Amino acid sequence: MKGKENKKAPQSSTPSSSSVGKWLNNSALYALIVLGLLVFAGFKLVQEESEMLLRAQELNLWLPTTLYWKTLMQYPGGAASWLATYLTQYFYYPGLGVSILCGLWLIICLLLAWTYRLRGPWLLLTALLPLALLACITQTGYWLFYQKLQGHLFVPTVGVLFATLCLVLQRLFDKSLPPKVARWMRLLWITLVCILGYPFFGAWALGATGLLAILPSVQASEANAHDESDKSIRSRFYFLGDGLGVRLLLAILLIAVVPQIYYQWCFEMTERTFVYVAALPSMRYSKESFEIYRIPYYAIILSFAILTLFSAGEGSAFAKKLKPSLKVLITLTLLVLAIFGVRAVWYHDINFQKELAMNRAIEELDWERVLTIARDGSSDIKPTRQIVMYKNLALFRLGRAGNEMFFYPEGAVQQNAPWKVRMTQIGGKLIYYHYGKENFCYRWCMEDGVEFGWKAETLKFMARTSILNREWTVARKYLDLLKKTTFHRAWAERYEKYLATPDAFDLEKLEASAKAGHPLLDEQGMKEFAPILHMMTYPDRLDGDNTLVEMYLLQTFAKGNGDDPLFQEMTLICALIMKDIDLFWPRFMRYATLNPDVHMPLHYQEAAYLYGHLENKVDISHMPFDQNVRDTYERFMKFNQQCGPMSEEQKAVAFYPQFGNTFYYFYFLVRNQKTN
Amino acid sequence: MTSMASPYLSPSSTSPHIHFTTTMSTLRFHLLPSFHALRAVFLVAMLSQLLFSSCTTDVPSTYVEVKDLPSVYPDYIGVTVPVNIAPLHFHIDHDSTATDFVTRLSAGNEAYAIAGDNVRPGLKKWRKLLTAALAAEGKISAEVFIKKNDKWQRHQPFTITVSKDSIDPYISYRLISPSYVTYEDLTLNQRCLENFDESLIYGNMINSDEANGQCINCHHAQWYNPNRIQFHVRQYLGGTVIAYDGKVQKVDLKTDSTISAGVYPTWHPRKPWIVYSTNNTGQSFHTRDVQKIEVQDTKSNLIFYDLEHNTVTPITRDTTDFDCFPFWSPDGKYVYYVSAHWERRDSVQMDFELIKNYKQVQYNLYRIPFNEQTLSFGPRELIYDAVARNRSVTLPRVSPDGRWLMFTEGKFGVFHIWHNDADLFLLDLAQAEPVEPTPVVFYSSHNLPASVHPENANNVRREELADSLLEAQGLRTPLPAHIRNITELNSHDVESYHSWSSNGCWVIFSSRRDDGNFTRPFIAHHDGNGHFSRPFELPQDNPLYHRQFMRSYNIPEFLSGPVTIRPQEFAAVIKKDANKAQLKIK
Repeated sequence: MKGKENKKAPQSSTPSSSSVGKWLNNSALYALIVLGLLVFAGFKLVQEESEMLLRAQELNLWLPTTLYWKTLMQYPGGAASWLATYLTQYFYYPGLGVSILCGLWLIICLLLAWTYRLRGPWLLLTALLPLALLACITQTGYWLFYQKLQGHLFVPTVGVLFATLCLVLQRLFDKSLPPKVARWMRLLWITLVCILGYPFFGAWALGATGLLAILPSVQASEANAHDESDKSIRSRFYFLGDGLGVRLLLAILLIAVVPQIYYQWCFEMTERTFVYVAALPSMRYSKESFEIYRIPYYAIILSFAILTLFSAGEGSAFAKKLKPSLKVLITLTLLVLAIFGVRAVWYHDINFQKELAMNRAIEELDWERVLTIARDGSSDIKPTRQIVMYKNLALFRLGRAGNEMFFYPEGAVQQNAPWKVRMTQIGGKLIYYHYGKENFCYRWCMEDGVEFGWKAETLKFMARTSILNREWTVARKYLDLLKKTTFHRAWAERYEKYLATPDAFDLEKLEASAKAGHPLLDEQGMKEFAPILHMMTYPDRLDGDNTLVEMYLLQTFAKGNGDDPLFQEMTLICALIMKDIDLFWPRFMRYATLNPDVHMPLHYQEAAYLYGHLENKVDISHMPFDQNVRDTYERFMKFNQQCGPMSEEQKAVAFYPQFGNTFYYFYFLVRNQKTN
Repeated sequence: MTSMASPYLSPSSTSPHIHFTTTMSTLRFHLLPSFHALRAVFLVAMLSQLLFSSCTTDVPSTYVEVKDLPSVYPDYIGVTVPVNIAPLHFHIDHDSTATDFVTRLSAGNEAYAIAGDNVRPGLKKWRKLLTAALAAEGKISAEVFIKKNDKWQRHQPFTITVSKDSIDPYISYRLISPSYVTYEDLTLNQRCLENFDESLIYGNMINSDEANGQCINCHHAQWYNPNRIQFHVRQYLGGTVIAYDGKVQKVDLKTDSTISAGVYPTWHPRKPWIVYSTNNTGQSFHTRDVQKIEVQDTKSNLIFYDLEHNTVTPITRDTTDFDCFPFWSPDGKYVYYVSAHWERRDSVQMDFELIKNYKQVQYNLYRIPFNEQTLSFGPRELIYDAVARNRSVTLPRVSPDGRWLMFTEGKFGVFHIWHNDADLFLLDLAQAEPVEPTPVVFYSSHNLPASVHPENANNVRREELADSLLEAQGLRTPLPAHIRNITELNSHDVESYHSWSSNGCWVIFSSRRDDGNFTRPFIAHHDGNGHFSRPFELPQDNPLYHRQFMRSYNIPEFLSGPVTIRPQEFAAVIKKDANKAQLKIK
């Protein structure tokens, strides 16, 4: 039989006269569906994951330097990371980054459709790959902070694109070379892809090698010279072409041996067993491995297997025999399953989103927005300590902590991740930075840089803490690195200006200049740095935080002493949160002395009133407490008597509507707030 | 300040031009579907490249004379280099108004003009310059021309002195981020000083995974011999790796009677013996000080390891003395080391007590004689009573001729890489005699009399006050005459780990002078009489490399050649169980 006739064969089995049949076989329709799906995926990504994508590019660094290239190329698959980190930058504008991502997925779909000769409903199968790639991104969650593979969000797309291009080239060889030459060319190409591709694309090159071995042969499909009555496996998979066994053997051999050869002679920094998974995200943290996060990667393999199996809308005996309606049914089922799969692994966590949004608001010094996010009551889920700390920081910066600190939900919900998330690795650096613990911010940037690789975010902190520590040269080093990036150059140039004004980082000189009406810092600088400089007015000592940011800050501030009004208030706030009566009183008195013209904030009054009644160490009888402070206290105690037999948990619920925003409630009914 | 120069005769009339490579701005070609076509395109591209690159650069003939020296990085102005050093590539720092650059390097009859702000003479040309310099007055002259506002400026030329004293061809070092607790991706590297080749001796990632981290440290070779080296692997698959004349083994030096496994090593110059310190080390973090970390020992002693018999013998065992950083003299007769005396004051844990009093832990320089016949050590001798000067010394290193001992001195502690007051000092052993310790009562920032304790003075100011008070009261002994601060090597920032070249003509040392945070190796010439030339930073192919590089160089040491054992071979040995050393008590 001639190939041309064969091409028509599947159509002849359909009711060509039927408009439904035509409609069902309309490739353009399915291409449109795939396109629509990609657009929708992109829209959902921007709509739901903008914060995550924005942070992802902050936790990414691409530098146009040979050093950066060489650093990545120390490991197999370095080029995939290099390309992926380059592309991740574009999430600086989430819409742009997602457009690039979806554009690459579209290219992958088109190339796969061509390579696997997909027509009609089979075209829908090309969307399986983008859906698997989408799942790789949307399942991220707190891996954002813990993934060591540089450019991890884009690496799967880059890897699949590489594999697809390898298949495309093979298809070109198949088309343009005589069959015999093509068969040899395929063996050569498989070998080349594995040997040359591995150092640059790691495991993705190994995957491409495997795919090349089983890529359906054009000649075999077109020749279709199989015996319908022959039920052997060989016959069923005739479309995979002659020499499948040889190809498979070669591929297996290459996949097994090539990484080992590179291990022996080239890559001196990769563990022997890891050479097979180079350029794949590890999904391991500490001693634990989280297999469930590997599912989207298995889905990528499965998608290629499905494409191979159904590739031949016109080649595979199995696929060919199917009626159009059945084809539609199969493809739609697979597609729907894939969509549900993506939906199932999509990481949704309100606290995660809040943490990201608050982090960004703090970076933009938009303290009111931080509070708006903290107030958001769209979910009943209690906040994480990270959220509570962000909220407290915002209130402190706005000078409203004493009045509003307990107006927001308290909570100590653990971050929604199967491992113990440490605050030092997510938002702790930002908190340390704003509370004037510059060395500890710097320290955790350095630790994270060492463990998880250098990021724009860590370099920004290191530059700013170095400026505040008056370490100008090293600050310039970090700024110079940031200036080499595509999107952080403007940021670096803005902060570079401060290197020229060293006096501005001497608090006395800064304050004097501000009083004289010619502040040494611009408005943005005053807003960001001046409060931090106030918080840095404490003497040096040797210390350690044992990775517990909140506990460390509470302990050091509550036990600290200072005459700077801002710093001093922080010592009072921390004494309050720690419910330490002995620490509270001297700081309360000092606050009153340092702020004679300030109306004593509500929560400080509440604490003093309560402590005065609990212990008679301090005479509070002459203190001018607000009437509502006294009244609330009386009501609280009366209500407590009424609720006598209730357990503490029951009381916490019962008291909350009336007293949830008071220090009394916090003191008696908010306990065991485990921090991380 | 600038002044107009008279029209200048181009040096091209007297000196040969250098050809320089320009990058083609664009190269357009169509991707042709055959290999022949591709080859043709490639050839055309290569020819075009050759055509473009064959243009020469001229030294500007008209320019304005600038009285300043150019600002170059690394700062190679006035340095002395060995005859076999790699090219000194440097970058011309400039502002945005500078649009073009030409640098003329000349020595004797050789001269090369190099365009661009990255001055990178090729290896062959650099060799010619070095040879020409040695044949002439021993100098390479560098003239930097910068074009601003379409006018050329010529900065004052500077010279690089070429010494006929060669340097050992290799150095080894550890590359580590100046991190605090975490480590990932640690490497022991070796670098050829005659070119820019750098390779790995061993990297921890080859044997590490998420669950099993591995630290590597304290590499050290016996008398510059790359075939006799040792380094430690900590945590996962831990042990001390010793390569000795082709045999690589991993040993476990921890015994029940010693504080830890071996830590800071020193090989006997000839025999298979190593003296180690054993340490209990901790670190804590400064809350405000830019020095950021304090690394302290809470216990440390010395042990003797006999490689042949795989035995460990304690040398010192006093728990009130912290003995550290041993160094065997080149004749093998002494082991120099530093020691701090500390007796428990509080009932709190020792580490908390030391953290609280970290500035009062100060180290003196000692030595103990060694008898090669009996393999025994004699009583210790105090060589430099640094504590009497309210100072603390570390890292004694004796020159190969046995005459000079270089050490690092700071205010307190032993881990001076984190102390920005740390400087290099030189002790003339020919004049050194054992001394008796001077009982001292010194002031520090903690115990200054109230009358001189200004409330708002910062830590540094209080330290200065303590020193001046001690001086005024005659309580701080002056620096002995046979010891001097090597001011020509020291900077405003940290100078720390140092080692001598095998011919004693060069020293390499760590310094944080570039930015205060990242340690870089510097090399200086020693004239044999205790004086040094201006040091130069380890040359790199990309002159801006160290500004971009986010790791520190740790323990730079000279090697007479490359270590030829491959990282994979070390990795295979490390995977095996360690040979347990036996305790041998004398």
